[in-house]
Amino acid sequence: MSESTTKQQAAVQTTGHAWDGDLQEFNNPLPRWWLWSFYVTAVIAVIYWFIYPSWPVGRGWLEGFATITYQVDGKAEESRWNTRAKLLHDLTESHAAQRQREFMGKVAEADFSTISNDPDMLAFIRSVGKGLFGDNCAACHGRGGQGVVGLYPNLADDDWLWGGSLENIQNVITNGRQGFMPAFKETFDPQQLDDVAEYVLSLSGEAPDSIAVERGKALFQGFGGGCYYCHGMDGKGLPSQGAANLTDKIWTIADVDGQKTLEEKKAVVKKLIFNGVQNMRKMPTWKGRLSPTEIKVLAVYVHQLGGGQ
Amino acid sequence: MAHSATLPAEQYNYDIVKKFAIMSVVWGLVGMGVGLYIALELAFPLLNLDVPAITFGRFRPVHTTLVIFGFGGNALFATSYYVVQRTCQAPLANPLLAGFTFWGWQAGVGLGIITYMMGITQSREYAEFEWPLDIAITLVWVCYLWIYVQTLRRRNQPHIYVANWFYLAFILATAILHVFNNLAVPVSLTKSYSLFSGVQDAMTQWWYGHNAVGFFLTAAFLGMMYYFVPKQAGRPIYSYRLSIIHFWALIFLYMWAGGHHLHWTSLPDWVSTLSATFSILLLLPSWGGMINGIMTLSGAWDKLRSDPILLFLIVSLSFYGMSTFEGPLMSLKSVNALSHYTDWTIGHVHSGALGWVALMTFGSFYHLIPRLYNTRIYDQKLIYVHFWLATIGIVLYITAMWVAGIGQGLMLRGFDEYGNLAYTFIETVEFLHTPYVWRAIGGACFLAGYLVMVYNIAMTIITARREEAAIEAKLAAKLART
Repeated sequence: MSESTTKQQAAVQTTGHAWDGDLQEFNNPLPRWWLWSFYVTAVIAVIYWFIYPSWPVGRGWLEGFATITYQVDGKAEESRWNTRAKLLHDLTESHAAQRQREFMGKVAEADFSTISNDPDMLAFIRSVGKGLFGDNCAACHGRGGQGVVGLYPNLADDDWLWGGSLENIQNVITNGRQGFMPAFKETFDPQQLDDVAEYVLSLSGEAPDSIAVERGKALFQGFGGGCYYCHGMDGKGLPSQGAANLTDKIWTIADVDGQKTLEEKKAVVKKLIFNGVQNMRKMPTWKGRLSPTEIKVLAVYVHQLGGGQ
Repeated sequence: MAHSATLPAEQYNYDIVKKFAIMSVVWGLVGMGVGLYIALELAFPLLNLDVPAITFGRFRPVHTTLVIFGFGGNALFATSYYVVQRTCQAPLANPLLAGFTFWGWQAGVGLGIITYMMGITQSREYAEFEWPLDIAITLVWVCYLWIYVQTLRRRNQPHIYVANWFYLAFILATAILHVFNNLAVPVSLTKSYSLFSGVQDAMTQWWYGHNAVGFFLTAAFLGMMYYFVPKQAGRPIYSYRLSIIHFWALIFLYMWAGGHHLHWTSLPDWVSTLSATFSILLLLPSWGGMINGIMTLSGAWDKLRSDPILLFLIVSLSFYGMSTFEGPLMSLKSVNALSHYTDWTIGHVHSGALGWVALMTFGSFYHLIPRLYNTRIYDQKLIYVHFWLATIGIVLYITAMWVAGIGQGLMLRGFDEYGNLAYTFIETVEFLHTPYVWRAIGGACFLAGYLVMVYNIAMTIITARREEAAIEAKLAAKLART
């Protein structure tokens, strides 16, 4: 091949110019395939101009011949092709949109017990809930709803600060929550703080019975500490106040599980009692950001993540 | 065969060419180093080290400015000053002003990256310089244009060689783009607001951004190609006619295509359509340059076996052909809907920037630097090492970005059987980790090759200086004897 092109080029004249000693140019014609391809792209461009909005004319522009259909409030409309109509088309008439709308409609109308007994709807909720949860909730609660100890509650276990029924969860997502526990730094002296912490740990079997535990119990259940107002006489918590169950070995703020010795465990519990829970547990309200149906979907999705009640 | 007389090398101003060439190599080293670092930051965000100045957001314009204006810009100054002198057989006009363009350009690039790391930026891609630097750059650029035109006017040749058309188009267009895109109202020394607003502002920015690619990174490097390819191959340019047609087609069509960076935004639909079609029309004019370069070698293909510099030039032209095919493809609205905002764009830019711009510069420098210092390259074998490291690096880089970009694009639009999005956003981000690691490996290969070139060039210059000193000593000894 190289021989034939050499022969061919030998026949072609250079332009006769020379620069910098030996820089010259052959006067080869334009390659045919190149020229014809260029014409083809020009034809494609012109066809494109006929189909889509193109050249500006006066105060408007050539609108193109392509049309597109879409729906506005369930009514079919048609217009010349444009980006907004294309978006409306995708949102109202694409296969995915229609399929999603169909299921979303069903979920919107159904109550929780109907949803819970319909495998088809539950499968849909697992599918759409994964995206809704992943894009809106996972940033704090984690992809699997596992939470972060000390910051964001775990949603995948069966411990619920504000109640674990579908209605409870729906309510929390809709309106948000502000977790609160007063600080006891003014109330307890160091000895009392120590005793209460020891008692709290004994509730879940983390601390053995002792005189300190007894003293702590008196504070917990008496007017001295008043812990029972929210956590109850038995320490099992009160969902209406978001007060934690202290008997179930599930720790959402003080990282008791992360400590080895009793002293270390006591230290984290004491720190929590001392400072209380203030301005750290803020679940935003989703009303207005998500539709009621989306919140309903999320309630069911979160409910089935772990042990909904 | 016609041969023109040449001026002896002493008559040319090689000093300014040497300075620009060396600074190109220096800025390129820093710029690509920063590039590798931010590639690693994306794969391992920990590397931010919580230091604002080195986070991705600030280092990214440092990287682009250093490689485009530091490495590419200096390479263009160096080669254009060399080519215009040699093809006009005239010394460079106004050596003092040429010195000013050198120091001014280095100051602009240096101050630019310092201000970016301090967080001072116009937030316009590839035009992040704040207004005082913009004015300084304009001044340097007007001097550049003046020197270039004055040198052309003093030519001892009736015709202007094709490389000079491209260089001149690049200088003129860059001046216009730079001035209009940077029109702004200053409110303090370090802050200004664009004169344009909303979609007009976006359109102005991408008219600039796209033509920075078209004229700075394409037309100018075609100028480089039109001199160094035929010189290195020892063959005439394939077709004079093709060079005229594709030159005018290229510079006419490029100016219209910027809107394709703004598909599916608030940009009016008709602007979007026109920019897509002008991008399609750009395909063949772009390929005209590739054909003219590659066909120049026809009849001398055997030289590829023995000349690693030609390997650089030819592979560069191949990457040019590939990226200019990929570009029009990505400018189609339907393809763009998938590719936009994904790493496919980054891959596309780098197949042009590494494959075309950098390889062309490397080939030209291996030709240019020994000639500037009147010597031979220090080690021919190291050019092969550089060539293979660079090529493997680019292939890894762009393949990783195709996987990342097309993969994420498909994930973002994936639906399951219920019509729900199949992936959460974070899943599409997690997916990017592996390709990001491969991209960093590709970049590291490319940088390793670059280090080989730095060593080779440094040794070439050192050897040349030694040889020169030896000759001078001999001469002095001879003179002393007589």
